[in-house]
Amino acid sequence: MRQTYGKLLPGMRLSDLSGKLIVIEGTDGAGRTTQIDLLKPWLEELGHAVLDTGMTRSRLAGEGIRRAKEGNNLGHVTQSLFYATDFIDRFENEIVPALRAGFIVLTDRYIYSLMARAIVRGMDPSWIRSIYRGALKPDAVFYLRLGIEQLLPRVVFSRGFDYWESGMDLYPGHDMYDSFCKYQAALLAEFDRLREEYNFETVDASADAESVCAQLKTRILGILESDQPPAVVSKPDEELIEALTKRVVGKLIPKQNGRGDHPDGQMEARISLAAQSLVGNGRGAH
Amino acid sequence: MEINTSIQIGPFEILYPFKPTASSIHHCGKLSLPGRLFVVEGIDGSGKSTQLSLLHKWLESKGYGVVFSEWNSSPLVKDTTKLGKKKKLLTPATFSLIHATDFADRTERSILPLLKAGAIVLCDRYAYTAFARDVARGMDREWVRDLYGFAVKPTAAFYFRVPLETAIGRLVDARDGFKYYEAGLDLGLSDDAEDSFRMFQGRIIEEYEKMIPEFGLTVINATLPVEAQQAQVRQIVQTHLENAQSLRIRP
Repeated sequence: MRQTYGKLLPGMRLSDLSGKLIVIEGTDGAGRTTQIDLLKPWLEELGHAVLDTGMTRSRLAGEGIRRAKEGNNLGHVTQSLFYATDFIDRFENEIVPALRAGFIVLTDRYIYSLMARAIVRGMDPSWIRSIYRGALKPDAVFYLRLGIEQLLPRVVFSRGFDYWESGMDLYPGHDMYDSFCKYQAALLAEFDRLREEYNFETVDASADAESVCAQLKTRILGILESDQPPAVVSKPDEELIEALTKRVVGKLIPKQNGRGDHPDGQMEARISLAAQSLVGNGRGAH
Repeated sequence: MEINTSIQIGPFEILYPFKPTASSIHHCGKLSLPGRLFVVEGIDGSGKSTQLSLLHKWLESKGYGVVFSEWNSSPLVKDTTKLGKKKKLLTPATFSLIHATDFADRTERSILPLLKAGAIVLCDRYAYTAFARDVARGMDREWVRDLYGFAVKPTAAFYFRVPLETAIGRLVDARDGFKYYEAGLDLGLSDDAEDSFRMFQGRIIEEYEKMIPEFGLTVINATLPVEAQQAQVRQIVQTHLENAQSLRIRP
């Protein structure tokens, strides 16, 4: 059975969430998007349905956050809560339904990035944690870790300094470079703390994209394989089918009164078939 | 860590005590806020907005700097709330979060700095509205209180207590139809808007009643004549204005 970090949100059911929730975490420039772009087609080739999702992509709040960020006057509490709204909207309307439909959900960041950003901005750690207590515990969290000295050229040399990536809302008056270093270092320190608390699987993101992806694929296959029912289960299944058939037959077919012929033999075979498919479906859903 | 100590949510005089684990909130010291914060609460049709507007005029006439802040009015957030309501995208959880976001923006950009500056801030609905509505929608009581942990504690919070039928009568007279979320139609309590409104607002009243002792709300009997209610409100507000002469912007 799946678990959450705390009390369930209203209307949330934890049963039948047969998909897999795989989180790719890491700071800006760690290559999360690149990896998801590589993993998604690979998983689809293997025959899995995949949902990929990420920050500010919610129907409800995505556009609102983008607009608010343009103005550069988004306060720290407001920012934390706006992102929480975006997350919970995607969580309730995309992630959970996809898991229920058996999808593999690849999410570019999860509650951990949101916590790290909020904590670095001075929010109380227990306050921000309390907001996300209805979130599901993922099947795996892959933390693409990159040191500040590797991160700087990756982010800055490709697209220049960005106001928010540089944490300019935190350190107004600094130049972008100083602010960037301070902000990203604080985020890294917070991620390292969260890594312990939430058991992230750390992946060294300084390697080239292909070898990072190869590592991720191996670990994801591990998760998917652990889900296959072992072969020994098939015997108890046969017993279960037999038992089910007997019980249903006993209820539906009247006693034969010792006449010898079996007019309902065909029906019995059909019940047995139905029982087989029932047990088969049950196994698939676990 | 350097950053964590320099910028804290903590200076806010929090409305609801965090659990002891969040000790940083309590230890980083309280900010002195020379302003005054008065808020009105109650169900739709309780007459609270009328009372607040009368209070506003009176305070202005006495020469105070008064600023009014309405629920759900942040320029940064209200379009998102509007979208969510219009397209019926909101669940109990996102309904709660988007309203908290709106409230956070007003707190950070307006309420808190104004109180620091010594203004009188008047709020039509405050965090208590969220505590009542969101819990009536099925959110966890403690979760919603934690969510609003950044709110400034009001100088006084008036709860306009009115029987449900009186409020419904006033609303039916004043306008046509009940709004979707206001009537709690998202909860599927009843297909009939008025029935749904009645059930939903009934739950909200129960939550308000529980909050009277929890937060020390000042109860005003909202079935009394408007003038009588206003006299009570002004009398109570007056007691909080003593030693607040510096607030006067005119001699």
